[in-house]
Amino acid sequence: MYTLSQRLVFIGLALAGGLLILLMRQFLNDYILSIAGFVGIYVILAVSLNITNGFTGLFSLGHPAFMAIGGYTCAILTFPVQRKGYFLSGLPDWLAGTELSFFPALLIGGLFAALGSLLIGLPVLRLRGHYLAVATLGVIIIVQVLITNMGGITRGPLGLNGLPTLTNLWWVYLWVLITLYLGWKLKFSSFGRSMLAIREDEMAADCLGINLLRTRVQALMVGAFLAGVAGGLWAHLVTAITPKSFSLILAFTIVVMVVVGGSGSITGSLLAAVIFSMLTEAFRPLEESLNVYGIGEIVLSLILILILIYRPIGLFGTSEPGWLSPGKRKSLSGTAGD
Amino acid sequence: MWRKTCLSIILAVSVLAGQAQAAETIKLGALYNLTGGMSSIDAPALRGAKLKAQLLNEQGGVLGKQLEVIGYDTKTDQKAAATQAKKALSDGVVAGLGYGDTTFVMAAAPAFQAKGVPFVTSGATHPELPKWVGDYMFMAPFGDDDQSYAIADYTYKVLGARQVVVWTDNSMDFTKALSKFFKERFQELGGEIILEDFFMMGDKDFSAQIARLKNTSPKPDAVFISAIPNEAGLTVKQIRESGLDLPIVSGDGFDTELVTSVPGPELANDVYFSTHTYRGDDRPEVLNFIEEYNKAYGRDPENAFCPLGFDAVGLIADALERAGSTDGEALRDALANTKGYQAVTGEITYARPSGVPVKGVSIISVHDGKYNVEKVWYPEY
Repeated sequence: MYTLSQRLVFIGLALAGGLLILLMRQFLNDYILSIAGFVGIYVILAVSLNITNGFTGLFSLGHPAFMAIGGYTCAILTFPVQRKGYFLSGLPDWLAGTELSFFPALLIGGLFAALGSLLIGLPVLRLRGHYLAVATLGVIIIVQVLITNMGGITRGPLGLNGLPTLTNLWWVYLWVLITLYLGWKLKFSSFGRSMLAIREDEMAADCLGINLLRTRVQALMVGAFLAGVAGGLWAHLVTAITPKSFSLILAFTIVVMVVVGGSGSITGSLLAAVIFSMLTEAFRPLEESLNVYGIGEIVLSLILILILIYRPIGLFGTSEPGWLSPGKRKSLSGTAGD
Repeated sequence: MWRKTCLSIILAVSVLAGQAQAAETIKLGALYNLTGGMSSIDAPALRGAKLKAQLLNEQGGVLGKQLEVIGYDTKTDQKAAATQAKKALSDGVVAGLGYGDTTFVMAAAPAFQAKGVPFVTSGATHPELPKWVGDYMFMAPFGDDDQSYAIADYTYKVLGARQVVVWTDNSMDFTKALSKFFKERFQELGGEIILEDFFMMGDKDFSAQIARLKNTSPKPDAVFISAIPNEAGLTVKQIRESGLDLPIVSGDGFDTELVTSVPGPELANDVYFSTHTYRGDDRPEVLNFIEEYNKAYGRDPENAFCPLGFDAVGLIADALERAGSTDGEALRDALANTKGYQAVTGEITYARPSGVPVKGVSIISVHDGKYNVEKVWYPEY
């Protein structure tokens, strides 16, 4: 169990993060703030994918699809009523007259994404092996095609634009905290332990009385919910959303973050997301002065290759740093398989 | 670990902040997708833009200062477009330019609008773009409606076609809009659309559409193909190979060497398309641009997006001179009052409330594999 001092450490870290944001908003320009916003969104994405891919060992590539569902739902719900009729002719009247505030819209977006994942999870997760990867790959395309062709509701390939700039660092930070808290609570609960058990040995987990299908579907849904919320945050940070906003490339980017951080490690995903989304930006001045573009991507690929060769379990493996883990103080812990 | 996080944050921030602002230049932020799927369109546009700045600087710059075009790579990623727009603004650019595609303009331009800094798109052609973004948004190219109207007028009045077939690439918004505007105008003129057919980007075989084209009655007088370059060459080749010799008409998606190189000079016949007044043109601006481009980069301009990037910088520089200052509002007003600016891609005037330029559209014909400018069409306003 957590000791009191560990709880204090967590609260201290959360407050320190808040203080950091306060300072950043005070002193940094819009550009750096928007990057910080995207860093936060990537943290949410990586940690939530870690719940699906890392904890439970389901190889899902569906995050972009869930982001698109969440993002569009949220964007339509918060779209200013006076422009809705003109832009979105196909909306039913009750929806055309609704304009929700940001938080409930995000929640509903997340719930829709979770619902979408339930639809795909129920049939597919009965199967063993890597069927989920292929199926979720398909979901990305299905969602894109649906959005492209539901012109009256989504404005087709043009996408929705001129969304209100609702996302700021506080919103992102709130959801980062919720995601981390949820991830942590899950990992060190009996529910999380059954997820890890499924990952390590399905047969053994089954014999222990773990309901495989239910646990897997739940893991997928938790990940999808948070991805949906992240999609909503994304849409209102970019202030535009199109069917192609969330592509397969994004799915791989998030998977890479999880792999580099260590599948199953929340701290790892968090750090990998922060490092990866900032590295490409850090190389920009160099790219612009040399007039050679793409250096950041090459460096990232190199890091990925090196990590896969020399540390295939990722930076943290499945563990969290010892001083943050419950139960033990100094040693690394948190694996079911060790 | 937290120490590491903080350290890397500080590191990144200091690297970014270390990009010290060089004084005494007028900065323009050029947002383009220099890597990723859009780079074949956007990278040449940035080269065109930088060339214009270089030429202006050789003649003493703008308002007595050197013009600096900073390229921002947005990686064919809307997220990057949104952040780089903010980065350009915090770098203190006096105006933004960029993109050959509406999607990315919509991610970047609203940030400029919010800060009261003008943004000129070099290649995005959706006619409602300025309406969506606001009064700080300008287009260097014509709108899609104008190019469709131009070719519809030509098809009806000059080619004398009354019944046409329309083929549309149904996978892109641009091609769908092109067909929509063409049909609208052609029917307004009194023509008739006797068949509509569809294909998808990447299709290689058009035999089904060609069979339907052959079997329609009454016989069509022309076929309008709304396609992007890849399908432009293929459709011409396959239609001619099937023995059909009716005129093929299209928009600027056909403005590519592929229209002649894929079918070969014998089959590339009776093709007409509307496009930016650039290809096959012998105005001094065009010849001079091609010469300078060769001097700077050692090759011919890759496509029409090169001169469009060139013109976007030209438009801004021209407005800066007339405004006499780099103030956003003054620059916006000067841009909005642009009249008869002699751009490489045609004369540009902002006279319509829509913010879409009144600009000539070339009708180019292809006979025996040779491009020839038939006429320059001007929109009425």
